[in-house]
Amino acid sequence: MKGSQDTATLNGERAAATAQQAGIVLVGNPNVGKSVLFSKLTGKFVIISNYPGTTVEIARGETRLNGEAVAVIDTPGVNELASRTGDAQVTCDVLRDRPAATIVQVADAKNLRRALLLTLQLAELGRPQMLVLNMMDELDRCGGRIDIRKLSELLGIPVVPTVATAGTGIHLLQKNVAAARKASDFVAHAVVPSGDPGADYDRNVERLKRVNEIMGQCYTLDRPRHPTFAQKLGWWATDPLRGTLLLALALYFMFWFVGLVGAGTFVNFFEEVVFHRHISPWAIRAVDAVLPFPHQHAMEPSEYKLEIPFTPTRGIELMTSTRETLAPKYSLSAGATLSWWQQALRFIHDFLVGEYGAITMAFSYGFAIVLPIVATFFLVFSLLEDSGYLPRLAVMVNRLFRGMGLNGKAVLPMVLGLGCDTMATMTTRILETRKERVITTLLLALAVPCSAQLGVLMAMMARISYPAAAFWVLLMVGVAFAVGWLAARVHPGARSDFIMELPPMRLPQFGNIAIKTLARLEWYLTEVIPLFVLGTAILFFLDRLDLLAKMARVCEPLVKGWLGLPPETANAFLIGFLRRDYGAVYLLNAATGANPTLSAHQVLVAMVTITLFMPCIATMFMISRELGKRTALWITLFIFPFAFFVGGVVHRLQHVLGF
Amino acid sequence: MNKPPHHYHLCPLCGFEFERTETHCADGCPMGKFCNLIRCPNCQYEFPAEPRLLGWVRRLFCREPSKATQREMVGLHELEVGEQGELVCLSCEQHARRNALAVYGLVPGIRLVLQQKRPTFVLRVGETELALESDIAREIFVKRIPHEHAAATAGGVTPA
Ligand SMILES: Nc1nc2c(ncn2[C@@H]2O[C@H](COP(=O)(O)OP(=O)(O)O)[C@@H](O)[C@H]2O)c(=O)[nH]1
Ligand SMILES: [Mg+2]
Ligand SMILES: [Zn+2]
Ligand SMILES: [Zn+2]
Repeated sequence: MKGSQDTATLNGERAAATAQQAGIVLVGNPNVGKSVLFSKLTGKFVIISNYPGTTVEIARGETRLNGEAVAVIDTPGVNELASRTGDAQVTCDVLRDRPAATIVQVADAKNLRRALLLTLQLAELGRPQMLVLNMMDELDRCGGRIDIRKLSELLGIPVVPTVATAGTGIHLLQKNVAAARKASDFVAHAVVPSGDPGADYDRNVERLKRVNEIMGQCYTLDRPRHPTFAQKLGWWATDPLRGTLLLALALYFMFWFVGLVGAGTFVNFFEEVVFHRHISPWAIRAVDAVLPFPHQHAMEPSEYKLEIPFTPTRGIELMTSTRETLAPKYSLSAGATLSWWQQALRFIHDFLVGEYGAITMAFSYGFAIVLPIVATFFLVFSLLEDSGYLPRLAVMVNRLFRGMGLNGKAVLPMVLGLGCDTMATMTTRILETRKERVITTLLLALAVPCSAQLGVLMAMMARISYPAAAFWVLLMVGVAFAVGWLAARVHPGARSDFIMELPPMRLPQFGNIAIKTLARLEWYLTEVIPLFVLGTAILFFLDRLDLLAKMARVCEPLVKGWLGLPPETANAFLIGFLRRDYGAVYLLNAATGANPTLSAHQVLVAMVTITLFMPCIATMFMISRELGKRTALWITLFIFPFAFFVGGVVHRLQHVLGF
Repeated sequence: MNKPPHHYHLCPLCGFEFERTETHCADGCPMGKFCNLIRCPNCQYEFPAEPRLLGWVRRLFCREPSKATQREMVGLHELEVGEQGELVCLSCEQHARRNALAVYGLVPGIRLVLQQKRPTFVLRVGETELALESDIAREIFVKRIPHEHAAATAGGVTPA
């Protein structure tokens, strides 16, 4: 007895030494709280969501153990180590590359059986390990009890209960890392080793037998008689009838919050009050003071209306105000001739605050229009993500997606694509087969407009009739399905089985939501603002070199002949190559600006064409990073001609449609 | 509720009854799709099908071997919503799929509850709720657990 204790402490000390050298690796089933635990340990933020498969890249950080810094690595969730697909591969590689690291397995205490299956597989590696039983609060709530001491004894490794979200047990965990050691033989040798991959299943069955023996000795369950409200909500969400109602409710809420409050109330405020009345005039004055040349800026009326919207046309008006503000437009003082020096000043002046100015155009678009819309969208998305609703949405749409060679899981990137297509393209990694990734990426690039673009498109929709708006929506959905269906037939390969774990519905946590929204926003802005500045700069130089008019002439057959739009709109499509929503802003100006040049029918054609454009250059780079250059090229070569093709067809159908 | 029992086969080896549609001869049979051996999803034993005429005669003169509800084993899709079952075997052809289910604890002997069938199957194993397509559900064979036993063992809450 004494001897074994001695070796245990010896092992413990050795483990402590290695832990401090090689660090610790967090391993566990998907969605058990590894990422929460990681941020509690390291103080670093990683994306945490109530959706299996969200840690697509491994995160590294440092924690303090006994006053010393120790590296911590978060890995994607795995259900077992044997399968060699995607996430499991990443986790296996991490473990292989760090042979001296301590394995800290994080488990969902409610799902002890699945966790122990993994424990057994890890034990077979013969490395120092320990077990963290997370979500003890939820275990309590569902009436489970685990005899931790007994479990630790059976496994031969430290077992620590935690509630990661509340921070309970983190200290105990840090204290016990030093005691991590090899698991008992009872656990490590539950199956005879074999190199036959076909035997994975049989070996897991053997392991689960051992797991059941262990659980019989330390786990009891006494479930409460009545389901909780969260449980019921979860069941409703996947019910054909109630689930559809819930989906409609969720969609309306999303539309209201993002489309009306975000794109309406907030954008109005930022655009009119913050930019037009304060930042722009201030920037113009500042630039004029630094770069003086004789000119006079025009005054423009700025109208602002604050209202709480209910539907696109109805709402409660709280206040209105009108005021004259300084505009970018200016005229040279009468009789003044500019020296070359003043010419140069004027050039820079125009670049900053002119009609195509970085501040007056790029920043005002990026911060006043895109930021409020995208921020509200990411907020809603984080809420949905944390509540556990998204996997249930996947259950609802699985049938529908099957026709497109996808399975329900593809709904997550699709919904995220409504926020930012680049980010969504990256998230297609949660899909298992290449075929699914390619089709989802194609559909994202083709037919899922990001929220910034949707905001602009919705503003354009004000110019067209209700039937035309409905036609636009149906056409986009139809195109998505038709292209998806075709792609599923053309692209070789199979889709994966739809086997998906439904995490419990949870009340989203405020702090987590806030951090996640901010992190996504930051990511988005660093991707987007440089593109706006670049796009504006290109426009500015083209305008200066008088190339805009020439380009318009070159594109005339396409834009005027095929689409039936005024030649100037070529600029919009040109800039649409950079970012389609920015192109849409141009069309918006042409559609609803001071003197609109587009008819209602032309607005529809323009909307259809620009919606089907490639989202932005950044998305293209992301596609080529995720799927390779060839696929990215193919997707691009398909999308642009296709967008013009559909736009032209809609134009030809004018007489048939009547709008 | 349940389809009337037709085309049921009785495995001569283990006595397991199953539907024709869900069984095929093992992959790699030299006769390919012309092979008319059928395979028992329980014990994997392959045997020739009962000639159709003989089946008619038998059904005409003999009583149905057993009602669907009393049969030992049924596909998961035959369970009622809210019913419990004990998993008997997975008949998936692909190892990967079988193992994909195993890692959620779906191995012979485990108890599960069918929570819903539409639009997609959802079952509960322990505290895990798992959604599956009907194709996969058909490959999961379970033994029904009568309600009085069910309450005592896994107990608890299921959607009404
Ligand atoms: N109730 C409860 N929820 C938790 C706990 N730990 C994590 N969660 C939630 O579980 C979900 C998944 O967490 P995450 O860290 O992303 O899991 P990972 O996939 O293992 O990295 C999130 O919604 C967390 O808020 C816990 O101890 N108790
Ligand atoms: Mg994670
Ligand atoms: Zn000026
Ligand atoms: Zn055969």
